[in-house]
Amino acid sequence: MRQSVRSAGVRRFAAVCLASAVVLVSAAPAAAASAPVYVPVLVPLTGFLSLEGTSQRNGAMLALGLAPTEAGVHAEVFDTGTSPEGAVTALERVIGRDDVVAIAASMLGTQMLAMRPLAEAYRVPLITVSGTASVTGPDTRYVFRFFPADPVAKRAHARYVVETRGFRRPALITQTTAYGQSGRAHLLEAFRSLGAEVVADEVIDPTVRDMLPVLTRVAAGGPDVLVLHLHAGSTALVIRQARAIGRTWPIVAGSAMHQPSTAALLAPEELAGVCAETASSPISEDRPGMAAFVAEYRARFDSEPDAFALGQYDGMNMVLDAILGGARTAEAVRAALAEGTHRGLAMTYRSDGTGNMAHTVAIICYDGTSRRPRVVARAGDPVAPPDPTGPAEPVAPTEAAERTDVADAPPGR
Amino acid sequence: MAQLLVNGLALGAAYALVALGFVLIVNATGAVNFAQGDLVVAGGFLAVAAAPLVPVPALVLVPAVAALMAVIGLVLSLVAYLPLSRRPPVAVFISTIAAGLILENGVLVLFGPAPRSAPPLIGGGVVELGGLVVARQSLAIIGVAVALIAGQQLLFHRTQLGRWLRATAQDAEIARACGIPVVSMVLLTFALAAAYAGTAGLLLANQFFITPSDGGDLMLRAYIAVTIGGWGSVGGAVAGAVLIAVFETVVAARLGHPVATGLLYGVVLVILAVRPRGLFGEAAGRRA
Amino acid sequence: MRGFGGSAPDDGRKAALPITVGIVVWLVSGLVATGTPYDLRVLTVAGIYALGALGYQLIFGFAGALSLAQGSFFGLGAYVTAILGTRYGLDGAATLPLAMLVPTALALVVSLPVMRLQSHYVALATLGIGQVVSLVAIHWISVTGGSNGLAGVPGFAVFGFAVPRGVPLCLVVWALVGLGVLGAAWLGRGRRGLVLAQMRADPVVARSLGIDTTRLGVGLFLASAAYGGAAGALMAHTQHVVSPAAVGFGMMVSFLTMCVVGGRGRIAGAVLGAVLLVHLPEWLRGFAEAERLLYGLGLLAAIVLAPEGLVGLIEAAGARLVGGRRAPGERARPAPAAPLPAAAAAPAPLVVERLSRRYGGIRAVDDLSLTIAPGSLVGVIGPNGSGKTTLVNLITGLAEPDAGVVRLGDRRLSGRAPERIARLGVARSFQAGGLPGGLTAAEAVVVALASGTPARVARACLDRVGAGEVAEVPCAALPAGARRRVELARLLARAPRVLLLDEPAAGLDADERARLAELLVAERRQGRSLVVVEHDVPFLAAIADRVICLDRGRLVFDGPAAAVAADPAVRAAYLGCAP
Repeated sequence: MRQSVRSAGVRRFAAVCLASAVVLVSAAPAAAASAPVYVPVLVPLTGFLSLEGTSQRNGAMLALGLAPTEAGVHAEVFDTGTSPEGAVTALERVIGRDDVVAIAASMLGTQMLAMRPLAEAYRVPLITVSGTASVTGPDTRYVFRFFPADPVAKRAHARYVVETRGFRRPALITQTTAYGQSGRAHLLEAFRSLGAEVVADEVIDPTVRDMLPVLTRVAAGGPDVLVLHLHAGSTALVIRQARAIGRTWPIVAGSAMHQPSTAALLAPEELAGVCAETASSPISEDRPGMAAFVAEYRARFDSEPDAFALGQYDGMNMVLDAILGGARTAEAVRAALAEGTHRGLAMTYRSDGTGNMAHTVAIICYDGTSRRPRVVARAGDPVAPPDPTGPAEPVAPTEAAERTDVADAPPGR
Repeated sequence: MAQLLVNGLALGAAYALVALGFVLIVNATGAVNFAQGDLVVAGGFLAVAAAPLVPVPALVLVPAVAALMAVIGLVLSLVAYLPLSRRPPVAVFISTIAAGLILENGVLVLFGPAPRSAPPLIGGGVVELGGLVVARQSLAIIGVAVALIAGQQLLFHRTQLGRWLRATAQDAEIARACGIPVVSMVLLTFALAAAYAGTAGLLLANQFFITPSDGGDLMLRAYIAVTIGGWGSVGGAVAGAVLIAVFETVVAARLGHPVATGLLYGVVLVILAVRPRGLFGEAAGRRA
Repeated sequence: MRGFGGSAPDDGRKAALPITVGIVVWLVSGLVATGTPYDLRVLTVAGIYALGALGYQLIFGFAGALSLAQGSFFGLGAYVTAILGTRYGLDGAATLPLAMLVPTALALVVSLPVMRLQSHYVALATLGIGQVVSLVAIHWISVTGGSNGLAGVPGFAVFGFAVPRGVPLCLVVWALVGLGVLGAAWLGRGRRGLVLAQMRADPVVARSLGIDTTRLGVGLFLASAAYGGAAGALMAHTQHVVSPAAVGFGMMVSFLTMCVVGGRGRIAGAVLGAVLLVHLPEWLRGFAEAERLLYGLGLLAAIVLAPEGLVGLIEAAGARLVGGRRAPGERARPAPAAPLPAAAAAPAPLVVERLSRRYGGIRAVDDLSLTIAPGSLVGVIGPNGSGKTTLVNLITGLAEPDAGVVRLGDRRLSGRAPERIARLGVARSFQAGGLPGGLTAAEAVVVALASGTPARVARACLDRVGAGEVAEVPCAALPAGARRRVELARLLARAPRVLLLDEPAAGLDADERARLAELLVAERRQGRSLVVVEHDVPFLAAIADRVICLDRGRLVFDGPAAAVAADPAVRAAYLGCAP
């Protein structure tokens, strides 16, 4: 992927400096037509969720950095770490300001749950890509998530496994983290309602290195497909070790698989027969808007964009559209997010009334010859409001979920 | 079962290198090196950085990474140990926590948060050994670890330098009185410990990948290995490391990972109840 | 627990607490008056950590035990609050006491086995317990919410009176910190404070002085759990979310770091450490991924520049201010007249019967029998490694015999804990001191007094050994000879029936030896039995009724001192014995 990792390290350092520069650049035209507005970015840049948090930061800063000067947006990045406490203090630091109109907020569910009451109290919208179900709810008005929530994503994940691919005996491996436990609950529920028998249900800590024990236990159940809901490192470890011991089960992984840094850990051959659920896969698509996003992202951050970056990018762009449309207060931005529709790069976003903006799930598959996955299906959330415009995709979202197209079956196995 | 045992042995061998460095520093300074896990991470990322410069198989990386890590170990001792050598060991405890944070987050800033993979030592893939499918890297890990642990034993028990190192570890005051350059010996111990930790990082980073935040967990494992083995006992540390790895493989395969982890701590508590000074007893007894 | 001892000389110590209280009161009142909600939030969180760190200071700083359970106690308090608050709608009036009680109960269950362990094994055992608590928090999803944790924890309220966030919550938290400081100060004051200093400096010596270190340690462990639980409860009310991060090892490391950076063993240290280390990341948050890197650098700088902690710096400054006015020893007051403590019970013979102890393959003491009559002085000689110190250890309970028994009168000593044996009237000295460097000589003697004895008796003990003039000098500043005398004074303070001295004359000059000999003879006349392990045979010959010689654990000579030099068995065994 990279010619020299050492120079990549140096370039990354430059990219970090550049990201800080973005702040300055966007701060400079603050003296635009109207009073500048403030959009802080509070994401986990250190600790175990730094990979996802960095994607969030990059996506948000790319959107804000590309914003026209008349938007008059001043952005600032703060690290939240991974504790609820870090997120809340970071939020309290920025939320009291008069000029804050929206806040890009951590994708870590626990942190969002801790930040939510404060956002509701101060009436400032939080823009996140957290998938954890309980982040939004009937009484949340100030949390907007630009990523399919677990009930939607995991149902689509399970339906692809059972309905599209026809597997009946899935083996489940999930992580013990908040991400993993939330996903596991919804996967089990979805498989139960689809009538599939879960033959193995293993949970592993992110620090587990040797996957042979868990694969041994999974094999004992005689599964016909391996369903993963793991973070990046564990996903790659399971796939690599399963292939190394000659297990050729098809694998349908969770959203961490689509992250280009996950695929980079594996040889293209090892990826044969691997599919994954995600909100989007920026590097898979050649649409002009997407290609420009990917190119710009690579140039600025010296890394590959993932769905978290794109979700946060789309979300911040919806905020920017609102600001450019005259929303200069937090309440006005909230109203625009709650009422409006945004045609983003990944999908078209519209609130379901509780701040869930994303209702489309993509399934990607690897063909065993490259690390660039192909989008094989898109599934819409049947309960979501109808998508009036739809992104520039060949297939209308809701149709893709229903059909079992031979041409779209994954290559390899 | 045999397959799991081989995997457990490979994992245990890598943990043993981490624990070995840990115990050497404990003996030489009386202090816990909290940065030991982050030294493993640093070694892993050094290997990642150096990978494009060397041909695969990358066995040549072992001495290169070990040498660079020895330098990092020297710097660590100069910054975090020497200014505090006359202070209570808890001060060193905290300074190494700080050094660990610096290492972890220095790696994060330089390399980014994504997990990375180091090149294999003797080629990737697997070999068949008497019906067992064994990853080449597992064999390499076991081989390198055995060689390095044997090397440490030879160095400590067969050379003059080793006698000085041991004398320093046993009683720094008496060693000083005997004219042994105690400070140099402590610096050397740090260099050695860092080299061993870094090599473990190189070995682990191929098969199990490495991320900047891996250090804390590795430190915890080394700490547990050293304590259940018997504070200050080199053999005990190695045995403790293998015991932990066996729980992660053989026991986990039987009972699942969460139960195996809980059971490991249960066994640790039972060991302490039955043998309050570790499996093998303490290396240095109390002088009344 | 040796190796974690370390304590600073204590000049200026008294100045540090008022200075810190001043700083904190100024900070809190200043911010309450003018602070933004953010300032108040950070200060509130700092207060919560201060409370948890205060608790950790009790076990780690006061008792000197490297417990790694404080994070678990904190998290347990938080979970109790969250579960009772969200499920049963209970408010602080019910949950705060329970959040303190549940961790204390856990501490009680684990304390007895744990507090018997030594240093790093305490650490591992408490770490193991903490990891189990953490596993339960992650996997018992139906109760704890799993890794996602529990959200919607209500704010702090007592009997329905809600404490809003901002100024009221901040004041409530810091008022509780104030209570915590008072509680900790009470636990560490007076004689108990001195006893704890001894326990930190050398727990083995402490036990030989009759101090029940296990009981003290357990008590402080329970108190630390209660503090931790209270802090966790307040954190749950403040963040409204509790997740496994609250019971994690990272939380534990925070408390440890706060106590050391603030100043170990100092109440003010826990508070200052918490205030600094909670604010430090806030100053750095804008540095994005470099934040933790800079935090590490800051932490390193703090510990290198102030190895005894922030309070150590304040104390050093205080000592410079105070120290100019008085030189060590100048403060000596006229000795108030006080009688020496008399032996608690009637004199009784010390009987050693067929005592054996092996270490590995070596017979350190081998089938040894011996009787020491009340009022006699027995010298013990023998080459290095002949079992002299092991014999003393076996008599005083520091080692368990493999076979045989030791009796004092009709009381069996073998099998009893060292502090129990000490309380039966057996006192011993060690080759290597064990005086707490931070205490004055007089304070070090007070440590040895039976409880209830007035402290001025300590002065009489010092005068008795001719060390009255160093009564107010810190032990760390004493020359070797004076140190020996203070150690002896401590043993006299025990009012022992049997006094065992391990090489008391080592390192003394001729004058000092003469005075020591005089003193020992005088003590013998009081009816005490004395056992003196010595290499200096002429010294023994002058004072001992009888000398025994050990060789490889066996008794090879038992007779009058005058005959020992001529005895062939002794000469054969004991080449180092100068005639």
